[in-house]
Amino acid sequence: MVENIVIGIGLTAFAGALASVAGAAEDVESDIGSQGDPNSQVQLAPQMGYIHRIFNKAVSGEPPAYGLWVALGAGLAAAFLQVNINPILALALGCAIATLVQGIYATTAYLGRIASLAKFGQPVYIDILKSMTTVTMAHAFIAIFTAVTMCYLMNAALGHPFPLALLGLVWGIALGAAGSATGNPFYGKERQYQNQKFGAGVPVAASGNIVRYAEAGERNSLDNGWFTAKLGGPASGVCFGLIVFLELWRTVLFESFWAGWGAIFVGLILILIFTFIDRYAEVWARETFGPYAKPEGAAK
Amino acid sequence: MTVTPKPTGGVGMDPVANALSIILMIAIIGAAWILFGWNTLVFKALVAVILGGALVGFGVHFVPVGGAPAAMGQAPGIATGVAMLAAGAGLAGLFGGAFAVPLGLLTSVVAGGIGGALMMAITCLFVTLIYTYGMGIPSASGKVKVDPITGDTQAEYKSQGTEGHGLPFSSFAGGVIGGFLGGFGGTLIYYALLQVYEAKLPTLLSASASAVAPVAVSLAGIFAIGMFLVNAVLAAYNITGTTEGFHDPKFARFPRAIFASLAASAVCGIVAILVAAL
Repeated sequence: MVENIVIGIGLTAFAGALASVAGAAEDVESDIGSQGDPNSQVQLAPQMGYIHRIFNKAVSGEPPAYGLWVALGAGLAAAFLQVNINPILALALGCAIATLVQGIYATTAYLGRIASLAKFGQPVYIDILKSMTTVTMAHAFIAIFTAVTMCYLMNAALGHPFPLALLGLVWGIALGAAGSATGNPFYGKERQYQNQKFGAGVPVAASGNIVRYAEAGERNSLDNGWFTAKLGGPASGVCFGLIVFLELWRTVLFESFWAGWGAIFVGLILILIFTFIDRYAEVWARETFGPYAKPEGAAK
Repeated sequence: MTVTPKPTGGVGMDPVANALSIILMIAIIGAAWILFGWNTLVFKALVAVILGGALVGFGVHFVPVGGAPAAMGQAPGIATGVAMLAAGAGLAGLFGGAFAVPLGLLTSVVAGGIGGALMMAITCLFVTLIYTYGMGIPSASGKVKVDPITGDTQAEYKSQGTEGHGLPFSSFAGGVIGGFLGGFGGTLIYYALLQVYEAKLPTLLSASASAVAPVAVSLAGIFAIGMFLVNAVLAAYNITGTTEGFHDPKFARFPRAIFASLAASAVCGIVAILVAAL
């Protein structure tokens, strides 16, 4: 009994660690490909007269795209497992094929999106296509492989009833949702609009005027990947890792109490703890950064 | 070119469309009653699926989503799409709910709800942390002068040229409530369909209950995810773009989405059930 619980906690921790890597790789991959919401600015810039060398493969949001790729990797791995291929090899092969699909997607998406800007004078840079696509594929493989391995652990070791491909779809969508929610503001505001004031939102009037020059030469998406790997990526990783770890941890450890209500109670406590931390950070920001203007009705 | 301004607040209900939605739902429920009787598993499952779909549609309206403007700190909310964020939370809830199915209906659906709420609580917290410690921007609502829960004033914390940014506390709370309703509704759909498939598939496939169990789980899971997305997308169309949560004027539009969800869930539900029940 105790041994089962210890193995369960170990697997939970391992799944959480895999999820953390998946979240970080997913966010950096999407930032290099401008696949999150900031893609609108990459698309808008040439229309405002700002020609750039930023990669843009956003023909789908991150959640459905990762839902597809992780489900594809998981489904193919399940098929390889059915023909008795070694699990580690099956997972790696399934994810490698899913990554090839991601590469095709990235290539066609970049060509389609950038070609649509031809009338604004935006060229399609073949060197950008060649150098960025492979880098996004490398990041995508890490994200897909870790996510599929995590799903395999949930299915084979922790006994979740969903088949591997379905788990891949569920956690792929959740991975994209967590990664885009956490990482997008950091890429959008802090990197694309690095020329705007720190500590304030981007004024609507500045839309489209993204930073296009680097320390030497023109900025490209590898520079953006380097930058977002410092905070946006790791934060997305911790976010998704916590979601997976705590979801499994409370189930594995506390579901046996009070006919399942133990896990629910612990979940409720965790939500309250996160609520307090959120409120603390919100009040800290208000007190530390102060108001931008005097409150309405205050003496001038 | 004529530019039509986006509607910002509650928009009028279309009585004809709502009546048609209700008639469609009643017709499908009536057909199920005639075909299977009212006190049967199939009939109860259909009602549960419709209820679950409506809960998902309602829950999406609580989720604060700012889309592309939020990614630039130009508008409050989470910087992603409405339907996809709600789906991420609801499906994470469905994962937890599916784990708890052997413990009964109530435990399972509440476990699903808490799973969705926990996912949203963690995600919303990280949005606040990124804005606060990564970008140095305090939260400010663009839709209300005072946060309805904390009473914090908002206008003076909006930076120049923006509609606000970050996640005010009411948006955080809305996200958690939306995640709970999404996880709860999604798990209810899954649970109801699973009961039907586990009861009907052994006869249909001439196999033992244990042999069809993986097929039943997979079918129920796929239909639950599909119906979740149908209802989340319907709600996203109703919201049109971005929302701050329950204190946003757009929240008043939710009855229209519930009518649409009732009709869509009835149609999808009867198809999902007839796969095994006829």
